[in-house]
Amino acid sequence: MATPVAVQGEKEEELLFAAVVRILSEDLYPRKLEIIREYIQNSSDAIDDWLAVADHIHDQTDPQIKISIQGRSLIIWDNGIGMSEEDIPKLKRIAYSEKRLGEEAGYKGIGKLAGVAVAEKLKITTTSYGDPRLWMFEFRAGDMWQDISEKKRQGIQEPASPVIRRHTSIEYTDVDPNDHYTIVEIRNIKESCSELLDADQIAEYVGDVAPVAFDPLFEYAEFLNEGLFRSVPDYSPKKILLSRPDGRKSQIFKPFNSQMMIAKPDFIQVKAPGGKGVLAVCWYTTNAQKMGDKVRPSGRIFSVAGDTVLRRRRFAGLAYKLFGFSIGDRSLPTRTLWTTAKARAEWFTGEIHIVDKGVLPLTDRSDFVDTEERARLYKQSQEYIVEKLNDLAQLISDNRRAFHGAEEELKRVRKLRHKLDDGGVQRSDVKVYKRQLEEGLQRLKNRKCNDLEIRKIQQDALRELNELRADIDDPKKQKRPLSIADLGSDLKMTTKAQRVFEIIMGTLQTHFDDDMDSYEEIAAKIHKALKDKY
Amino acid sequence: MSQPKPLEIFRTTPNKDFIRTAFDKVLLGDWSLKIGRKLHYLGLPAAQMYDIIDWGPFIERFSAIERAENQQHLMFLKAHVRDIEERLHSLYGEFDEILLTGKDSHGVSPEWPYDLVNLDYYGGLIYSNRKRPKAIRKLIQNQATYERSFLLLITQDLRDGDIGHEEKLTFLQELNRSLKGGILDTRLHPAVDRITEWYASGELPDAARQALYVNFFLRNMGETESFDVTCRPPIIYEGTGGSWMIHFACDFIYRSNVACRLASSQTIAELINLGILEVRNAAFGHPRFVQPKLEMS
Repeated sequence: MATPVAVQGEKEEELLFAAVVRILSEDLYPRKLEIIREYIQNSSDAIDDWLAVADHIHDQTDPQIKISIQGRSLIIWDNGIGMSEEDIPKLKRIAYSEKRLGEEAGYKGIGKLAGVAVAEKLKITTTSYGDPRLWMFEFRAGDMWQDISEKKRQGIQEPASPVIRRHTSIEYTDVDPNDHYTIVEIRNIKESCSELLDADQIAEYVGDVAPVAFDPLFEYAEFLNEGLFRSVPDYSPKKILLSRPDGRKSQIFKPFNSQMMIAKPDFIQVKAPGGKGVLAVCWYTTNAQKMGDKVRPSGRIFSVAGDTVLRRRRFAGLAYKLFGFSIGDRSLPTRTLWTTAKARAEWFTGEIHIVDKGVLPLTDRSDFVDTEERARLYKQSQEYIVEKLNDLAQLISDNRRAFHGAEEELKRVRKLRHKLDDGGVQRSDVKVYKRQLEEGLQRLKNRKCNDLEIRKIQQDALRELNELRADIDDPKKQKRPLSIADLGSDLKMTTKAQRVFEIIMGTLQTHFDDDMDSYEEIAAKIHKALKDKY
Repeated sequence: MSQPKPLEIFRTTPNKDFIRTAFDKVLLGDWSLKIGRKLHYLGLPAAQMYDIIDWGPFIERFSAIERAENQQHLMFLKAHVRDIEERLHSLYGEFDEILLTGKDSHGVSPEWPYDLVNLDYYGGLIYSNRKRPKAIRKLIQNQATYERSFLLLITQDLRDGDIGHEEKLTFLQELNRSLKGGILDTRLHPAVDRITEWYASGELPDAARQALYVNFFLRNMGETESFDVTCRPPIIYEGTGGSWMIHFACDFIYRSNVACRLASSQTIAELINLGILEVRNAAFGHPRFVQPKLEMS
């Protein structure tokens, strides 16, 4: 890069003006709940930093991130490593971060001031282990915006730094040097951003995007945790608690639970080209339903209980996770990995934990920075994830159809068997039933199925169907056909009409003397037609 | 940005700690036992929330009023550090305003009714604009609306000039009249005069008068709203920064089906004879003055 050269005689020019703070903070977070993610990210990094030293000083603190709402304030607290006296003045620096790229969730130095866009004030109070002081940093955003607007009206363009200095302050007091925590208060949040004060929205958002644990009541929680701890080096779910204004406090978990009826999840490792190293680890599952005596993957677009289609389908698709935080929404993997059969992507829910930390998120976490690492991740994921899941979707579909097909045939067969056993099958109907059984047999044979247990159900259906096909030919089991006289009296005809009927039927009987099945069939049809008519 | 400045933090004192743990906590414990549950608290606990933390076993949820922004922020911090944030219901603004308007500066309302109200004031109970007594009246009225008995604790500065000299005299004259009206045995009337004269004495420490008229004021307000009010002896002590403080504790028991103004079980004579306690060096000590008792000479 060329070294900037000052033009002789010119004063050093100011290049950054106060309004940039507003532009940066407001435009970065179109969805205001994303501001919470920024602070959770800082808290998560602070906890990881604390855990790295906690063992050395035999600290038993339960690492936590707590979110609460008080009046028009949103509060995020953590008992991570805290900030030291040197760190506090740096809070007012924009886009300044000492975090290590690829080693911590946040690294751009923007998120710490995210709250200034939505509130009158931002207060960050912290102390680090060993520091005998508690530091309170205040950013008076409301005053600053007013100040900038006022100056603009007067035609004054003020550089950013003095304005920020004027509207920030630091205070301190004594504290127990063993303490270590940080609290962020986003104070007096604007009416237009009240989703930041809505506990339900916060709980759902944090459960979706933050590195929270699986609900221990979720039947596959332990299985998934074990798998992720084993294969994702930085997998470190955080305990995040939410206190609601009504006094309820609960831990936020990932949004999966045992009421969702989901199949046993599985993992896919996305390997680097040549099989050297792992780029990502994906866990996935589908909806499930009871088939036979077991709950099996049922496929179709992943859905849960909900009032609207959008609510029901909110977990359809996979989600990218980097340091446990979601990147983009569930449509991002569909858009970036699936080139065809995109609907199949929505048959699954799950997460793709990115292990390759060369893959970097955009500032707003809506996507990844376009890098070679990203291209490699996408390419390998297509090979490992998409191919597998598309094949799996086909298998699930085949198995489900095979099961339902077998079940339908069995239902039909059993109904007919019941009729036959009760002597309710007319000889005249046998031909039709035989044709139906033949078709059913063909359908069963045509169904693809790789699930051995479903295959067994299919075979049971085939066996029952074959048995019935044999039994239905047994004249002893068929209902005796009505005589011509019985048919006539059954129709309650006049004597004259009955005579005519008997002549016609007698002629037909003589005509079909060699093919009594056909006679019975046509006699039954005539009987039915007359009965329906009269 | 200017250099970091020290934060103002309220510090407790050994005397205050003693009253909180040895006197108030016992009352709270009894009250909680009596009603069979933990107490719902309204008060001014300051950022450190010494009372909430000391009384923790007896407090369920607490509405904490704070008028200073930084102090409220530090209160949030303390609540999170002590892991009681879900029980905190924070109100921002002046206590008087919140009670009179029903909302704090951010539009948040108190969660009526309460079992325990602890008002640790700066300044006296009665300011010249009378907002504070009006707020106390409103508090008692709100409790009465919910027919909820409660324990009221008030701590305030013993600043002279809390009410004007004329007002004090008027109060004592009214006290004299009501005592004589209430005590039919005229042989006691000279004792009533002696007492009012003693209280009227200009040389008398203001604490003595405040001890009497605050309790009278609370009793009067309570009875109007169907509460049977029992006052305990006020306690004076040296507080933060050497300022003298006075602490009151009163039971407000709601009596339903009261047709007209209620008369408390504790008589006026008993109220006058409560005397004053004093805490010195974190223990009850001999009070610096002894009030005359209402008894026949």
